[in-house]
Amino acid sequence: MVMQRRKVCHFCESKVAIDYKEEHLLDRFTNDRGKILPRRVSGTCARHQRQLSQAVKRGRFLALIPYIPDHQR
Amino acid sequence: MAFPTALFVPRGDGPTETEGSAVARPYETVIIFDSALEDAQVQEKIQRLTSLVAPNGGDAVKVDVWGKRKLAYPIDKKEQGIYAVLRYETEPSALTEFERVMRLDEQVLRQLTVVDPIVPTPVPVRAPRPAEEEE
Repeated sequence: MVMQRRKVCHFCESKVAIDYKEEHLLDRFTNDRGKILPRRVSGTCARHQRQLSQAVKRGRFLALIPYIPDHQR
Repeated sequence: MAFPTALFVPRGDGPTETEGSAVARPYETVIIFDSALEDAQVQEKIQRLTSLVAPNGGDAVKVDVWGKRKLAYPIDKKEQGIYAVLRYETEPSALTEFERVMRLDEQVLRQLTVVDPIVPTPVPVRAPRPAEEEE
């Protein structure tokens, strides 16, 4: 049966603040090409998606996560 | 052209500036130093930088040095960097000089200053709607 459970925003549920310094967190929300996962995939709510994309971009600038993963360079 | 201050209406969030006296705000700065620096040199540089944002004693600055870390991509052909996080409160005007000094320092590979995300910016509380009188 094709019944998809509605995804719940990870950050709304866990009440975890989005921090650009936590690279494991940012890693979870980017794909293997270093791109930010879309909301339809990650289930993040609009508000947290905005905060997340900001955090990912800061993380990239600080070389915590790559702009382009090594295997693609 | 000067910004017509008469038209500037401060929004309800965050500290508002009153004329003449700037309000200190919480900031967080991440600095990546060249990994060739010794611990003592890093400490000395941090000391010098903190004096720019906290002129009266560096106690107000919380320093967290992560130590040597591999960079996700090379910066200035360097694969490693020493990360340091500073958290402090200062007037916005102090940041200009602070960031300028860091930009001139070739041993600072990267620097990012943001409004401290951990200290929440006060959210304006909406005034409760006056209760409607029921006839």
